[in-house]
Amino acid sequence: MSNLPPDGAAPELSNGQPLVSLPTTKVARAARFAKTGLKVGANYVKHYAKRAAGADVNADDLHAANAAELYGTLSQMKGSVLKVAQMLAMEKNILPTAYSEQFAQAQYQTPPLSGPLVVKAFRDAFGKSPFELFDEFEPTARQAASIGQVHFARLGAKELAVKVQYPGVASSIKSDLGLVKPVALRILGLDEAQVRPYLEEVETRLLEETDYALELRRGQQIAEQCAHLPHLEFPRYYPELSSARILSMDWLPGQHLREFLQTQPSQEVRNQLGQALWDFYMFQLNELRQVHADPHPGNFLLRADEGGTVGVLDFGCVKEIPTEVHAIFTALLAPETLDDAARLLSLLEEAGVLRSSDSAARRELYLRTLHDSLTLVGQPFRQPTFDFGNPAFLESLYALGDDLLQKPELRQEREPRGSEHFIYLNRTYVGLYALLTELGAFVRTGAAA
Amino acid sequence: MEKDRIKQAYFDYVLRKNTPPASVFKLTKKLGIPEAEFYRFYPNFEAIDREIWADFGRQAREQASKEPVWPEYSAREKLLGFYFTLLEILKQNRSYALQSLRRYMPEVPGLTPRVLDDFRQDFQAFVGGILRAGQNTDEVANRPVLQERYPRLFWQQALFVLGFFAKDNSLNFERTDAAVEKAVRLSFDLVGPNTFDSALDLARFLFQSRRR
Repeated sequence: MSNLPPDGAAPELSNGQPLVSLPTTKVARAARFAKTGLKVGANYVKHYAKRAAGADVNADDLHAANAAELYGTLSQMKGSVLKVAQMLAMEKNILPTAYSEQFAQAQYQTPPLSGPLVVKAFRDAFGKSPFELFDEFEPTARQAASIGQVHFARLGAKELAVKVQYPGVASSIKSDLGLVKPVALRILGLDEAQVRPYLEEVETRLLEETDYALELRRGQQIAEQCAHLPHLEFPRYYPELSSARILSMDWLPGQHLREFLQTQPSQEVRNQLGQALWDFYMFQLNELRQVHADPHPGNFLLRADEGGTVGVLDFGCVKEIPTEVHAIFTALLAPETLDDAARLLSLLEEAGVLRSSDSAARRELYLRTLHDSLTLVGQPFRQPTFDFGNPAFLESLYALGDDLLQKPELRQEREPRGSEHFIYLNRTYVGLYALLTELGAFVRTGAAA
Repeated sequence: MEKDRIKQAYFDYVLRKNTPPASVFKLTKKLGIPEAEFYRFYPNFEAIDREIWADFGRQAREQASKEPVWPEYSAREKLLGFYFTLLEILKQNRSYALQSLRRYMPEVPGLTPRVLDDFRQDFQAFVGGILRAGQNTDEVANRPVLQERYPRLFWQQALFVLGFFAKDNSLNFERTDAAVEKAVRLSFDLVGPNTFDSALDLARFLFQSRRR
């Protein structure tokens, strides 16, 4: 969820791009998919027609045409469908990483809930209308959250953010996934049995996001465990004012990243904010072994108080990291691993990226690719300090993603590799790096490792 | 009051046995009143069913309008408020509602079950009032002739909502809530000033130009 200061009435869009109209009903979504199916079919026809005509075409052109078609469709659908595509893409590099910016905008788009339905949600949960429950309640939402909307309320001296979930979101996510799965698998040329663990992982996370009671518990828990970290602020949650579909918390002051940057904060402030974020994530990854897996700019509120304070919102997407996964992940990022080819090999085998049944050439290919990726991704860990203010790092990270996409050998791989737990860990790292780069922060990265 | 006692006894009987009593005599005997007493209030059991449904509608309108923000609601929100309150009431009486609807379901789909006759009259009067008020706030376009038919069209929407609720198998009937939101938004998009009015305006203009 995202949280605006009281004067900002417009819903927050992460990168200011206008949202095009979205087909929101199941029928409309299905129709959109059917259209993609037709176009993909047409691409095949074109492909074979060209080949029949003796033109020198290869399957890559076809995949490229299909991927473009699919991407166009998915970006219009947004919502959970896009999230699934995003996850698949992260592992397979089918869609370029550079588009992650656009993915950040992915939200469950539905028109705002009407006042009467908000009132009904409260009556269902508490047997009272929100006007009885709070001293003051704004019937018009201040902004849209990913699967609900946020209202401003007052109780006594407290200012509250009250998140109300759209009705039927959980079942709608399920039906969306049911809709996207067969089509996406066919278009991407994936085998259901092979991607099942990945899809299940994504499905679980998406459904968890609809459970506000869980989010409340996690929010309270992580806030408590991270209380000692400096310059961080967590909203207090109010269980007595929350239910499965309603979540009440403190209304935190602060601005979203982009608005905050427009106030031209000093480098010291930006460094302190960046450091707070870095420490927060390293503590979660290494100590708590569960991580706020949605480092989207809309989930943080920044302000310059006390040299820079970060407000952390939305614990809807929390990834718990199993011990063995944590061990592999840490070992993969350790500087000594990269210099030791045998060690890297055995770690990758353990992580399920390499298999003993793979041919020598394929092993070599994967090893080289992953060595390159890890060199880049692990770079901040190998230095005592890291300057995220230099955009070259993130650019080369995105370029690497594009490069991998271009590699014909990799594109022919029709089978995703690696542990399904890496999906959200990758997303967390890339998201964190992107945040820090935009913030232009200079961070002590070595100390926390 | 005797009338309420009869109504309540009938209601309980239908809930318990899932069918109306075999005869008026059986019900009145249970209540310990002479059969003639029944006919002072109702000609038959169907009249009681009609009245119970009308009661549901009346309660919904009363409860919805007790909401402190009711006076500030737009026409669309008032209709939504009514539907959501009605669905709350029906949820508490779902067994009876389903049972009675099934019993009076017309053979031809789309027709109104007779048991809803009184409910429908009140509903149409209520919607008519909302729409008239909506004209003052420009929420509803002024379309002579056509707008007299609005209440009937909205009744079809109410039937759709009831039908959706009857078939809904989602938890807490959340999908019905979503259906109501969407159906009401569509209906107010249709009755509000929209493309239709612009098209009609152009057509009228062209027609008048030709006559000149």
